[in-house]
Amino acid sequence: MSDETPEANRLESLLLNGIFALVAVGLLALIGKATGRGVASGGWWTRPALAPGFALVLLVGANIFTLGRAIVDLRARPPSAEEWRDARTRVLGWLRPLELLAYFGLYLWLTIHIGYFLATFAFVMWLMLRTGLNSPRWLLAGAALTVALVLIFRVGLGVWMPSPGYYDAAPEAVRSYLIRWF
Amino acid sequence: MEFIFAGLAQLSDPWLIAVMAFGAILGVIVGAIPGAGAAVTISILLPSTFGMEPLLGMTLLLGVYCGSAYGSAIPAVLLNTPGSPVAVLTAMEAKPFADRGEARRAMSLAYSASFVGGVMAVLALMVLTKPLALIARNFGSAEFAMLAISALVLVVVGHGGRRIEALAALAFGLFLATIGLETAYATQRYTFGETWLMQGIPLVPLVIGLFAVSEALVQLGGKGARAREVKLSGGFFDGFLEVLRYPRTLFGSSIVGIIIGIMPGVGEFLAQQVNYVWARKLSPQGHLFGKGAPEGIIVSEATNNAVPPAALIPMLALGIPGEELTSMMLAVFLVHNVVPGPELFLKHGDFVAGLYWTLLLMNFVIIAFLLFATKWIARAALVDKRFLGVAILTLSLIGTYAANYNFSDVGLSMFFGLLGYILRAHRWPLTPILLGLVMGPIVESRVRQALGGAGGDFTVFVTRPISAVLVAALTALILLSIRDSLRNRKRRADWQINDS
Repeated sequence: MSDETPEANRLESLLLNGIFALVAVGLLALIGKATGRGVASGGWWTRPALAPGFALVLLVGANIFTLGRAIVDLRARPPSAEEWRDARTRVLGWLRPLELLAYFGLYLWLTIHIGYFLATFAFVMWLMLRTGLNSPRWLLAGAALTVALVLIFRVGLGVWMPSPGYYDAAPEAVRSYLIRWF
Repeated sequence: MEFIFAGLAQLSDPWLIAVMAFGAILGVIVGAIPGAGAAVTISILLPSTFGMEPLLGMTLLLGVYCGSAYGSAIPAVLLNTPGSPVAVLTAMEAKPFADRGEARRAMSLAYSASFVGGVMAVLALMVLTKPLALIARNFGSAEFAMLAISALVLVVVGHGGRRIEALAALAFGLFLATIGLETAYATQRYTFGETWLMQGIPLVPLVIGLFAVSEALVQLGGKGARAREVKLSGGFFDGFLEVLRYPRTLFGSSIVGIIIGIMPGVGEFLAQQVNYVWARKLSPQGHLFGKGAPEGIIVSEATNNAVPPAALIPMLALGIPGEELTSMMLAVFLVHNVVPGPELFLKHGDFVAGLYWTLLLMNFVIIAFLLFATKWIARAALVDKRFLGVAILTLSLIGTYAANYNFSDVGLSMFFGLLGYILRAHRWPLTPILLGLVMGPIVESRVRQALGGAGGDFTVFVTRPISAVLVAALTALILLSIRDSLRNRKRRADWQINDS
């Protein structure tokens, strides 16, 4: 994996730690309800709540420690106005992966409704245009990537995909061809 | 040793050789592309291997793992950009070589050191794994529980400077492992009545989400800058035999790489750092380290390539994976009902022996491929990162779906992709989450068995000698790391950044 991760902002990290701590405490609070007692019996070491309880206590402890460390650091070195501005920008920057994941979700929806080949082609082309790879050479590379994926996964590995409804409108020979390869 | 030689017959299978060559070449190429790498590729390939014979599936994944260790040296030398974090030292040492017009020599030093490290580690795998497994046959649940816990502790301790974050990530992974049906009480844990959670959190969406989708999100958010290529000047075999002038560094680094590779949770990066520091101290040319010393490249590459086969030793002998890639490979075993550990050698000796020989042959295939293909692979390393992001994200959909033919798994991989992206942006480690998910059920069942056999008496972990030794070693390690953390505690402007 690449090592190109942006440097974190202390306030942004504080917010993130706060969210993690809140989720961890919430999950721990639910332990009684979320781990039923069941019908069998056994010693204390077989209680269903034991393993998740142990993991969640560790999680809560580590998150609270990290949160405390962040708060102490911020009190010792109060954030500047620039750091606040930077934090706002960075938190808004969380929307960037959400935008990409929304496209990914749409790709999933399209795969079910228009078929794997067309959905992949549309997704690849849209992402390339969206990220600035819009020269004919890159678009051709995108088309080649789509064909390669179909060849590897649908033809080579025989991965089954649900066929969209409109394939049924095609003549039988074409329909089975579309279902098998596209 | 007989069963090892019996495994030679496996090499007559043309499919095995083809899959091995494909995996190794793919590994070299993805290892050379910064941002691709073994974790991303193996996570995407993982579902495809579930339908293969265990030996074929494992060979494919190991090909990628070992090939990428070789390939990461290419951009490090020719683009001065490490293909993965473990090639940072190679990039640093190779730059002066490239500046002097000796890129080919640096490349050959890297390849030959990688080859020696890789082959020595496979030989260690052949020699050490079965005896370790035979010793482990005498282990009870208490010993296995402590070994599994040791792996988890080492993973946390290994993240120097980010131990609390690693602990949180591990705890999260352990919690995820408890979701789903619980067998002892025939009840459910944290399913909230959702049927899709009954089987627990599936491994493939988590792996693809954390490692592939998050990587794609990082690449797509980047600017796609193109690195400057260095000309591959110099003689074809310059430096190829030069490694033999530094036998102590070459073999010492390989041996230390093997030893550290066997230890779960430590990994190539730490092994390299340890080796590099010692090699610099011991070498008469220590002052040249960091300024283009041949020994610097040798240390980096021999260690880097010794770790992957060595990491298989605890996985095969004890059923304990030490890092994210062997954790993913464990899934291939489990899908085929092949349980790693002492019984593996009795029931599937041919499989293990076949694996040894394919791994050994793999090193020869990779080195032969690199000798003529380096120039072209270097071109692949120049691919625009945005295009790489598009390719990884597109592959993630079919990779996740193909595991269970279930589109809701793709939703899970999106969730873990976002989580992975956010955690990476804050330098939180991801590997402990995966290890927690894989090791959680092992630890829970072994601890239950051990305590069940002792009537709930906790002293079972300190009254059995091997378990007691492990408890003592872990306690000492934890205390030492706490002392180390307290000693090095200082207010740092970059407290969020990994200082390991």
